[in-house]
Amino acid sequence: MIALKRIAQAVLVIALAYVLVFLVLAAIPGDPVSAQLENPQAGYSEAEKAQIRSFYGLDKPVLVQLLLSIGNALRGDLGISLATSAPVSTTIAEAIPSTLTLAATAMVFALLIALVLGFASQSLGESRLGGLVRSLPTVFLSTPNFLIGLVLIQVFAVQLGAFSIIDPETAGSTAFAALTLAIPVSAQIAQVFITALDTTSALDHTEVAISRGLAPVRVFARHLLRPSLLPTVTVCGLVVGELLGGSLITETIFGRAGIGTVVQKAVTSQDVPVLQAAVVLSAAVFVGVNLVIDLVLPLLDPRLRAPREAS
Amino acid sequence: MTRPVGPAPVGPDVTRRRLLRGIGAGALGLAALPLAGCALEAAHAAGDSETPEDELTFLISNLDGGWVPSKSAISSYEANVWQQLTDKLVHTDEKGTITPWIAESWDVASDSTEFTLHLKDGVTFSDGTALDADAVVANLDVWAKGRPDAGIAKVGLFPGSTYDGAEALDERTVHVRFTAPSLSFLPTLGYHGCLLLSPESVARSLGEQSDLAHQIGSGPFVLDSWAASDHVTLVRREDYDWAPPVLGRGGAAALRKLTFKVLPDDTLRASAARAHQSDVSYNVNPQVLDSFTEAGFTIEVPRYLGFTHGFRVRTNVAPFDDVRVRRAISRGIDRDEILRTVFTKDWESATSWLQSSVPEAEDHSDLFPFDPDSAAQLLDDAGWTGRSDDGYRTKDGTELAFTLYPTPYLTGSVPEAELISQQLGRLGIRVATQKIDVAGYSGKVEDNPDQGLAEVTRSFVDAGTVAGVITADGEDWFALEDSDERLVDLAGQVAGTADRTERAGVIDELSQHVLEQAYFIPLEQNVQRIYVQTPELSGITFNAVAIPSYHAATKTGSGSDGEGADA
Repeated sequence: MIALKRIAQAVLVIALAYVLVFLVLAAIPGDPVSAQLENPQAGYSEAEKAQIRSFYGLDKPVLVQLLLSIGNALRGDLGISLATSAPVSTTIAEAIPSTLTLAATAMVFALLIALVLGFASQSLGESRLGGLVRSLPTVFLSTPNFLIGLVLIQVFAVQLGAFSIIDPETAGSTAFAALTLAIPVSAQIAQVFITALDTTSALDHTEVAISRGLAPVRVFARHLLRPSLLPTVTVCGLVVGELLGGSLITETIFGRAGIGTVVQKAVTSQDVPVLQAAVVLSAAVFVGVNLVIDLVLPLLDPRLRAPREAS
Repeated sequence: MTRPVGPAPVGPDVTRRRLLRGIGAGALGLAALPLAGCALEAAHAAGDSETPEDELTFLISNLDGGWVPSKSAISSYEANVWQQLTDKLVHTDEKGTITPWIAESWDVASDSTEFTLHLKDGVTFSDGTALDADAVVANLDVWAKGRPDAGIAKVGLFPGSTYDGAEALDERTVHVRFTAPSLSFLPTLGYHGCLLLSPESVARSLGEQSDLAHQIGSGPFVLDSWAASDHVTLVRREDYDWAPPVLGRGGAAALRKLTFKVLPDDTLRASAARAHQSDVSYNVNPQVLDSFTEAGFTIEVPRYLGFTHGFRVRTNVAPFDDVRVRRAISRGIDRDEILRTVFTKDWESATSWLQSSVPEAEDHSDLFPFDPDSAAQLLDDAGWTGRSDDGYRTKDGTELAFTLYPTPYLTGSVPEAELISQQLGRLGIRVATQKIDVAGYSGKVEDNPDQGLAEVTRSFVDAGTVAGVITADGEDWFALEDSDERLVDLAGQVAGTADRTERAGVIDELSQHVLEQAYFIPLEQNVQRIYVQTPELSGITFNAVAIPSYHAATKTGSGSDGEGADA
C-alpha cells in the first residue's frame, strides 16, 4: 500500500517535470530549427522556412505540440532532436555509459573519503587535528566544483602531464573527473556520518567497549559503524541529485560526452525533445534510488520493521 | 560476550600514533586510485605526448549541428569535417575563381540559363557505387528543392527558385536548366552546401541522415568512427585519385588519419595545444590568441567571399530614417581603434560592404571615413542639439539612443559592440549593448522590424546575392520597400544580366549607392574562422568559404623523436 503510494508519487513527479520543461522552453522565444533556418549563411526564403517548420510541427499551437509530445512519449517514441535530427533515444543512450562511469566512480571515492574522515574524526577526538578533520567537509562543500576541476586539470594534466586533456574517457582522466565530483559529494555524506558517529560514540555501549581496551579500529568497525549507517545511507540517496547536477559541470569542464553535456547543449539550443527525455531520466533515477533506499533501510535497522497499526 | 579484562588501557599517545598510521594509509590509498589510473594510461600511451607525423588532431569547440547535410554543411564547425569526406563538382577559391573538380569542364548557354557539366571518369563513392551523371542529378535536385515533406531543407544559396531540372545525357554528362539567367549556379557548386553524396545517402530519412556513418561521400577521407559531442575520426581513402588540381596533389591524401576532437573550453584547447596534444585548434577568442602565439603556433584567418562585418540599417526605424544620422554613426566609428583593441594584426578594416576578396569589390573606404567632427556637425544639422541630464543628445525631448545586440555568429562581436558604444557615446549617442545567444537572435534582431541596426555576417560565392538581399520581394535588408528607385533599378540589372563583366560594373555602382546612403555601415573584413596551427603543418588550401582541405596537408618532423618526454 505504502509502496504503491510511493510509486504513484514518483510517477507524478516525473510527469510534472516533463510538462514543466516543455512549457518553460515554449515560453522562451526561439528554437534550434528556426535558429538554423535563420542563420545568415543559409539564405532561405520565408516559404522554405515555413515548410521545414511545419515538418517539425513547430507551427502548431503550444498545447497541441505538448499533447502530441505526451502521446508519442507514452507510445515509447521520444522523437528526434531538433538540433541534430538524431533520435532522442539514441542521443540519451549513447551518453549514459559515460555519466554512469563518472557517477559510480565518484560515489566510490566519496564514500571512501567520508569513511576516512569519519574514522579520523573519532580517533582524533577533540584534538586540534580532530578539529581540522571535522572542518574539512565544510571546506569541501564550499569549494566550487568547477574550481577543483580546473585546478586538477592545470596541475595534473597541464603541468605534470598525468592525464590526457583531449581524451577524457581514459582511466586517468575519468579518475580525476570523478575526484572533482566526489569532493563536494563526500562532504555531504561525511557531515551526516560524523554527526551520527558522535552520537553513537557517546552511547554507553561504546564507552564500555573503549574502556575495555579494544583496538580503535575494532571499536569503530563493531560498535560505531553500523548504528551510524542509517542516516548515512539516507543521505546517500539525497546526494544522487548532487551527483547528477555536479556531473553536468564536471563533464563540461573535462569535456566528457555524458548526460550532463547533453543537457547543457539541449538547454542552450532549446532542444525540447532531448531536454525532456534527459529531465525525465534524471527524475526517474533520483526518485528510483530513494525508493530503493526506503526499502533497504528496514533491513539495516530492525526498529523500522515494527508492524504498523492499520489506521 | 564477556571477556577477561585486559591489560591497562593503552596510553593515548600510542593510540594516536596507530591511528595516524591508519589515516595515512587510507589517504594514500585514495590518492593512489587516480595515480593508478594514470599509470595505466601512461602504459597505454607511452610516447603519445605528440601526435604522429601522419596524423592530424583538430580541436573544435563543438560538433553539435548533427550530420544532416542541409543543416550542418554550412556550419562553421561541421563544414570542416564535410570538406574532407566529400567532393564537389567545382572548386571555388578564396578569390571566387572556379576550377574543375568532379566536373572536368562545362558549357554555358549564351543567356546563362542552360549548363552542361562533363564529369571526370572513374570516380566512385567510398561504398563502391559510381559517381556518375545520375548521382549528380539526384544531388542537384536535393540542393535545389530539398525534401520539405521529409524535413530536409534545400541548399540555401542554390538558385532553387529558377531551377528547372537536370538530366543525365549519358553516364558522364549532365544538362541543367534554369528559367532565368543564373550566373551564380557555377560558383555555388563550390559552396559548402553542395556536397556530393551517394544517391542512397541522399534518399535517406532525416533521422537516418543524422548518423554520419550513413553519409557516403567520395572524398579523400572516409569515416572511421564518431561519437556525438566527442570526436570524429577519418582515415585516408587509399584509392582516391580525383582531387581538384588546384590542391596540387594527385592520388591519396598525405595524412593517414584525421581526428576532430570536441573540446568546448577555449582555455583547455589552448592548454592542449601547449601540451602538444593537438595540431589545429579552431575558433578561439581573439583575446586568447596571444597564448597560442606564445606556444609557437601559427594563426590562420582565411576570409570568405561575402559581405564585410557591419550593420545593415532598417531605414523605417527612427532615428535611422534620417540619412544624416546614419552617416554620423558611420563616421563616428573608429575602425582602427576596434582593430587595435578587440582584434589582432591579422584583421583588416572594411573597404566596402563587400569583402575585398570579392572579384566585383572596389575600395570605397573614402565613403565612410572616421571623422567625429563632421559626424557631430551632421547630428547638429539633423536637429539633435539638445542635451539630456546624462549629457546625451536630444531632439524634441527624445534622447538619441538605441541598443546593439552583438551577433552570436562571430567571435569578438561583444567587446566590439561595447567599444562602438563608447565611441558613439563621445558623439552624444547613448548605445546600450545586450548579448543574445543563437537561439534568441533571430527573433530579437534578424526578424524584429523595430530593431534599427542588425549585424551582418554573411558569406556568398557569387556577388549576384546583393540583388536578393535589398529588394522588397527578397530580404529587404534596409526596409525600403522599393522606395529607392535607383536601388531597385540597379538590383534588377544585377539579377537580369547574363554577362559577368557587365554585371560587375552594375554591382559596383550599387555598392557606392548603398555606402553613400549609409544603408550599410561596414566595420571590418569579416573573419569568421580562426585556425591556430602547428608550424609543422603545410599544404592546406582554404576555399571560397574559408574551409580547409587537408588532402594535400603534410606534417614535417618536429625534430623530436616521438619518445614520451617525462614531465
